[in-house]
Amino acid sequence: MRKVLPKACLNFFCILVYIFLAAPIVVVLLSSLTTTEYIVFPPKGITLRWYAELINHPEFMQSFTLSIMVALGTSVISTIIGTMASIAVVRYEFRGKTAVTQLIGSPLLIPSVVFGVALLQFFSWIGLAASPVALVIGHFILTIPFVMRLVVASLVGFDRSIELAAKNLGAGRLRVFFQITLPVIKSGVIAGAIFAFITSFDDLTVALFIVSTDVVTLPVRIYTYMQYQYDPIITSVSSIMILLTVILMVVIERILGVGKVFSSKN
Amino acid sequence: MQAELEMNQEQDIQFKQMKKKKSKKRLDSWLLLLPALSIFLFFFLLPLVFLFITSFKNFDAATGIGHDWTLQNYAKFITDQFYLGVLWRTVKIALITTLAAVVISYPVAYQITKVRGRMKNYLTLLVLSPLLISMVIRCYGWVILLSNNGVVNNALMKLGLIDKPLTLLYTEFSVVIGMVHVLFPYMVLSIMGSLERIDPSIIRASQNLGAGPIRTFFSVILPLTLPGIFAGSVMVFSLAVSSFVTPAILGGPQVKVMSFLTYEQVSTILNWPFGSAIGFLLIFIATITIIIYSKLLTKSEKGVAIQ
Repeated sequence: MRKVLPKACLNFFCILVYIFLAAPIVVVLLSSLTTTEYIVFPPKGITLRWYAELINHPEFMQSFTLSIMVALGTSVISTIIGTMASIAVVRYEFRGKTAVTQLIGSPLLIPSVVFGVALLQFFSWIGLAASPVALVIGHFILTIPFVMRLVVASLVGFDRSIELAAKNLGAGRLRVFFQITLPVIKSGVIAGAIFAFITSFDDLTVALFIVSTDVVTLPVRIYTYMQYQYDPIITSVSSIMILLTVILMVVIERILGVGKVFSSKN
Repeated sequence: MQAELEMNQEQDIQFKQMKKKKSKKRLDSWLLLLPALSIFLFFFLLPLVFLFITSFKNFDAATGIGHDWTLQNYAKFITDQFYLGVLWRTVKIALITTLAAVVISYPVAYQITKVRGRMKNYLTLLVLSPLLISMVIRCYGWVILLSNNGVVNNALMKLGLIDKPLTLLYTEFSVVIGMVHVLFPYMVLSIMGSLERIDPSIIRASQNLGAGPIRTFFSVILPLTLPGIFAGSVMVFSLAVSSFVTPAILGGPQVKVMSFLTYEQVSTILNWPFGSAIGFLLIFIATITIIIYSKLLTKSEKGVAIQ
């Protein structure tokens, strides 16, 4: 009795928290199926009408494509740049190392609104207009610190004697990196790439300052649409995004295992 | 003599090679750093320095940024009751969010560290899933839940608990709810980390000495996880103070916080200098939090060492 009661309370409380966590996501998914002209939960009837309706809103599709492109570009390039910098920070001793790591880590302390404003002012001064490239540059600053954290964590526990062995057996530096180092730190690098993709795809704050009328990412599109309309179109767009995330997660789970991805985060 | 000289020469050559290697290594490290460093200097540090300068310029209705130097922007903020109220609201919301996050995260973190195997993976994934789903969408879910004819109000009215809908949306309450939902995973991860570091033999010792599960929890486990709670709280607080998306969607102009004020000044009122000043005050608050935290952390680590 002494042991059972606290445990039951704990489980009950946790279930409430899980409901709290799932609630907004479930509500969005289910209310996208409604037959009504307005958002209602629980949905009245079941239809895929609001998904079909998306055909009449090509702007969502455009924004979606743009967001995927920007997120892919950000993810690939910031993973490469971040991994290079991580190797420099972990493997080499040089003057100004602390200053460099502090500079690259500091975006985690700077509110993204302030960074967005600063970037908007800077871009307009140097004459860089809203474009996918401008968005990717802005997102680098948000993603590289995360990539570096994850890659540095996987580099720190690295046994360098296998690299040395490869070198002694005559492998060149690039070959050592691609055949020995990279496979060992793979999970950190992939986790970094995924985080970079998600961060870029999800970013509203910085993009809000960079976008123009014809370059609009999906989060910005949804945000501005929401300000004026309250129809189930948003819920169907959102549901598609949620389903894509779930698919992505399943793929990651299959390749890496969830535990691995997140344990390297600490 | 001859042998000695040869040895000397050999050493000399070795030394030269070493030096060469060293400078090559230094070159390597800078080459590896170059892309990241130049991006950060050019697109992060420089824009922020320019914005900082802007915050000391006067407002010009025609161009936005005037040519004269002034402290007016900062003075305007700290002398106006309205702006100070926004600052206080921002800090208040962040504090309540942090507290609520600790209370709801701790039991969950505790439960996850207790279960083993696949179940643990699934629960971890469930807890972290909010991080992976777009923040805009999650906040939108809360809009549907909390609006006047939303799920919560309808349920309460059907149960007969209220006669007319409560105003839940666009209040400090809705901002806190959304913020806890968004920042919850950070707190759970941090507390889980410190729970997992506890040596199980300490818990067994406490049980062997006759303490029940509740006593063991409050006098052994909780004190040992305080550093984790601390670390999570600082992270959640600093993210809550500076967050923009959640207060913008769930609070809007009705519940103005510092980040929204910055956005509004810059993009609607076009008062760049004042917007920049608000932004830098926000950075100031976030930095102060981190400094206080690291001071406390070194103190508490000493405390743990003494124990």
